Amino acid sequence: MKTALTLILFAVGPLLMQGVDAGPLEPPKGIRHYAIGPAPGFTLVDMDGESFDLASARGKWVFLHFWASWCGPCRAEMPAIQQMSERLVDDGPVIVLVNTAENEDTIFSFLAEINMELNSLMDADGQVTERYKPRGLPTTVLIGPDGNLQYQAIGGREWHKPEYIDFLRGLAGEG
Amino acid sequence: MHPIFHLVAAAAATAASQPGVVSTEDIELQFAPRTPNQLMSFYEARGFPSAMTDILSKQCFITVRIHNKSDTTIWHDLDRWRFFHNGRPLHREHRDYWLDKWRAMDMPLASISTFRWTLLPEALDYLPEEAEGGNIILPRVDGPVSVTASFATGDDKQGKVITIEYSDLYCAEDKE
Repeated sequence: MKTALTLILFAVGPLLMQGVDAGPLEPPKGIRHYAIGPAPGFTLVDMDGESFDLASARGKWVFLHFWASWCGPCRAEMPAIQQMSERLVDDGPVIVLVNTAENEDTIFSFLAEINMELNSLMDADGQVTERYKPRGLPTTVLIGPDGNLQYQAIGGREWHKPEYIDFLRGLAGEG
Repeated sequence: MHPIFHLVAAAAATAASQPGVVSTEDIELQFAPRTPNQLMSFYEARGFPSAMTDILSKQCFITVRIHNKSDTTIWHDLDRWRFFHNGRPLHREHRDYWLDKWRAMDMPLASISTFRWTLLPEALDYLPEEAEGGNIILPRVDGPVSVTASFATGDDKQGKVITIEYSDLYCAEDKE
């Protein structure tokens, strides 16, 4: 597999343990509070065949992003997520992408086509995604260090912009 | 009584398959009818079984995009949408109808999941500047379909009600 698709489910930096409270950080426009309870657990395999268990990220903030290649806003948003991941390499949340109900060939072709270095988990039958009951694609949820859902963004966002970077960095750094 | 903003859109349709747009200072709705060929192409390319695409191609698909242009929350709820054809109500099946149907037909989970994603959510709160969309499915009919949609506004849904009417919606046909 091309080196461009090396694994980037990266937990990085001095991510601090913190309590249930999402803290005083007010999310930027387009991110809503979503403290509805525990994030459904799952284990999925990425495009390199590596298994990822959400529980392994406990103690860190998780940026969990659901996408599909047929979804226009998902395609448009991917470069922003790539840039975001590069800027948060030392002090951001764990970034987890979950492709919804597409096969490996489709995912690989798409990510290679847009020169994405990020890897993606594959929810082949869409059932992990269903458990999160998102109301549209793309959807991103932010999971707190305690494993509870805290924020949600429905639709594409300019994640590489300073307001989002600062917010995500703030979450990961607050304690 | 809440103030009601009422808009009657009288946009002329230039062609049955062209998107229609209704826009106010608070909200914009786009209606883009999809032809059977467009539907088949999309779903077949994603590996949908013919048992699903055969049924879907006989429906009237409208891709709807809703854009909240206001500075407050707008609450979309398909229960507050009404469709009419020839002066009579046109029944829209809830997404659960379709999901139950696919499950009863034992269709692949991935196809059911993807199908669900392509539908307009039954309900969704649109934050300021948010724009999301999806498909609504109606019975395929000839001639114009009118739609009336009302939206609550404000964080507590107690703001003014926005009502949109659009009377020039058509089920798109494949071109000969």
